[in-house]
Amino acid sequence: MIRFLLKGILRDKSRSLLPIIVVSLGVALTVFYSGFLEGVMGDIIRQNARFETGHVKVITKAYGKNKDQLPIDLALLDVNSLVQSLENQFSDMDWVKRIRFGGLIDVPDENGETKGQRPATGLALELFSEQSKEAERLDIQNALVSGSIPDESGEALVSYEFADKMDVQIGDEITYFGSTMYGSMALTNFTVSGTIRFGIAAMDQGALIVDISDAQKMLDMQDGSTEILGFLSSGVYDNEVATNVMENFNAKYADSSDEFASVMVRLRDQNNLAGMLDYVDLASGLFIGIFVLAMSVVLWNTGLIAGLRRYKEFGIRLALGEAKGEIYRSMIYEAVLIGVIGSVFGTAIGLGLTYYMQTVGLDIGQFLDNAGVMMPITMRAKITPSLFYIGFIPGLLAMVFGNMLAGFGIYKRETATLFKELEV
Amino acid sequence: MDSEHIIQLEHVTKKFPVGDGRHFTALKDINLTFDKAEFAGLVGPSGSGKTTLLNIIGSLDSPTEGKAMVLGKNIAELSHKESAHLRNIHIGFIFQVYNLLPVYTVFENVEFALLLQNIGESERKKAAMEALEWVGLQDLADKKPDKISGGEGQRVAIARAIVKRPSIMLADEPTANLDAKNAHQIMKILKGLNKELDTTFLFSTHDEKVMQYLDRTISLRDGKVEKDKTTNESNKLS
Ligand SMILES: Nc1ncnc2c1ncn2[C@@H]1O[C@H](COP(=O)(O)OP(=O)(O)OP(=O)(O)O)[C@@H](O)[C@H]1O
Ligand SMILES: [Mg+2]
Repeated sequence: MIRFLLKGILRDKSRSLLPIIVVSLGVALTVFYSGFLEGVMGDIIRQNARFETGHVKVITKAYGKNKDQLPIDLALLDVNSLVQSLENQFSDMDWVKRIRFGGLIDVPDENGETKGQRPATGLALELFSEQSKEAERLDIQNALVSGSIPDESGEALVSYEFADKMDVQIGDEITYFGSTMYGSMALTNFTVSGTIRFGIAAMDQGALIVDISDAQKMLDMQDGSTEILGFLSSGVYDNEVATNVMENFNAKYADSSDEFASVMVRLRDQNNLAGMLDYVDLASGLFIGIFVLAMSVVLWNTGLIAGLRRYKEFGIRLALGEAKGEIYRSMIYEAVLIGVIGSVFGTAIGLGLTYYMQTVGLDIGQFLDNAGVMMPITMRAKITPSLFYIGFIPGLLAMVFGNMLAGFGIYKRETATLFKELEV
Repeated sequence: MDSEHIIQLEHVTKKFPVGDGRHFTALKDINLTFDKAEFAGLVGPSGSGKTTLLNIIGSLDSPTEGKAMVLGKNIAELSHKESAHLRNIHIGFIFQVYNLLPVYTVFENVEFALLLQNIGESERKKAAMEALEWVGLQDLADKKPDKISGGEGQRVAIARAIVKRPSIMLADEPTANLDAKNAHQIMKILKGLNKELDTTFLFSTHDEKVMQYLDRTISLRDGKVEKDKTTNESNKLS
């Protein structure tokens, strides 16, 4: 019977073409939208994790309250033993120390006179240590525009934009001006070993990247760091696991009134990412919901029109001995078949669009000029396994729902009345 | 009750509501029986109730009063499913307009009737081809309905009705849209099937050409049986 119905669908173009087009379109949009959302949001979350928030992050309570000012005076101390105990307690996670600091960078000319000065945000990472994955994590090798990653004390990376504007070459000296952890003046020279461009607005404007040992010396921060980031072994943020880790850690310091006691925060609670994470779920749900509704209405109407055109056919089938319930059911089967066909086409189209947006991407650099947000400059979609089936939900639901409504008139009526109306 | 009769109508009355709580009585106190292998027809002016009566016998409708027994089943008591089943297995319909499903081929149209009975593919194909041979259309099997003539279309409809070898064939003005030559051809085919398969035939018709083939003619007027005459006794016996 299904084969017979399928034959009918395929031969009667006027019955199937419009619904297939409607379903394909809706499904393609759903798939593409989901892929785009997943891609962009995923990138944002990944970048935040890599550059700023970790999957969880340990700071002092006081630092957390003032973190926008990069208050190095509120940094963690005794970090080696803290990292050691974190590694013991959460052994499958990766724990790294970082220091964020602000200051001025001065570029001297050949006579030692100031050629230019710019404010810079500094990031100190474990670059020199052998087992550190930090360079990989930030993908510095790929972000290098010229030069190389610092491998000895006194070397620094500067952002390409900065180097370009200030006319800084590889091997040039630059001077960092700032204050130490204890408020006295810090002044340190670095040799530029490379220039970098991450493709992230917040990182590419005036960044200075140095090894953590150099920063500790320069900022008088013996065995200190502003933060310790923890990364889950899977490499992907899992809110449940992160929450667990956070709660375990914080339980120890729950009733400490010490301003400098350490506290753990998860990715979700930083940089307004909670809203974003929730938005991803909500938005795709909402989007699918709206599509199901809108498509249902359209398909209900096409179903009604197709139903009218097929009254004669239904009459014949009644006479041949199909109960109207069976006819109704076969209409639903047809809807499922058409829904599947449309969903397959739509998914293919949607995946094609997603793939295009994954490889080419959408450059939004010009809109992010002053953005302090951790946003990728190129928005990219991402093909995930769920995209292969997600479109079938609105495709099938809308088609079946629309046709159930359309066929309801037939179902409800008396066989005799129906038969007369069918004018057989 | 005499269960020998294939169709037995007792005091069958059909009223249609026409609004304002009033009714139009389309059939009044009909008492008729039909037996196996009869070749009978309902004649009478337009509006006399012929189609209404056929629809009741075909279990597409049920009487308002009285009792309509078809193959031992009381039409009024059948559920949708049961009446569909009765039509599916035992009753073949032929209509004025040769109603074929346009997207399917001639062969598939005939096959469809058996598909509804869940008959296996090889048996289905064999029976469908045989039915097309009965009406002489085996060569048109793969044509679509819009590519064949009206007379041929009506013959396909006959093949579709007869392929399941129903006990009862109901034909509502089967020749109304056909020219004389085709009408005679159709009637000869139906008469042949009646003889060969012992199927009970019940026509509704205005057409003299049909009437001359009938063994029994029942005249309806204003919903009542006016005359019930065995016409072609000699023919029937021959
Ligand atoms: N559903 C209905 N509601 C109201 N009246 C109906 C209904 N069906 C049939 N009638 C009426 O019942 C009467 C008998 O109709 P029926 O179709 O049985 O006549 P008929 O003998 O087949 O006529 P024709 O030769 O024109 O086909 C007609 O007057 C018709 O208007
Ligand atoms: Mg009629």
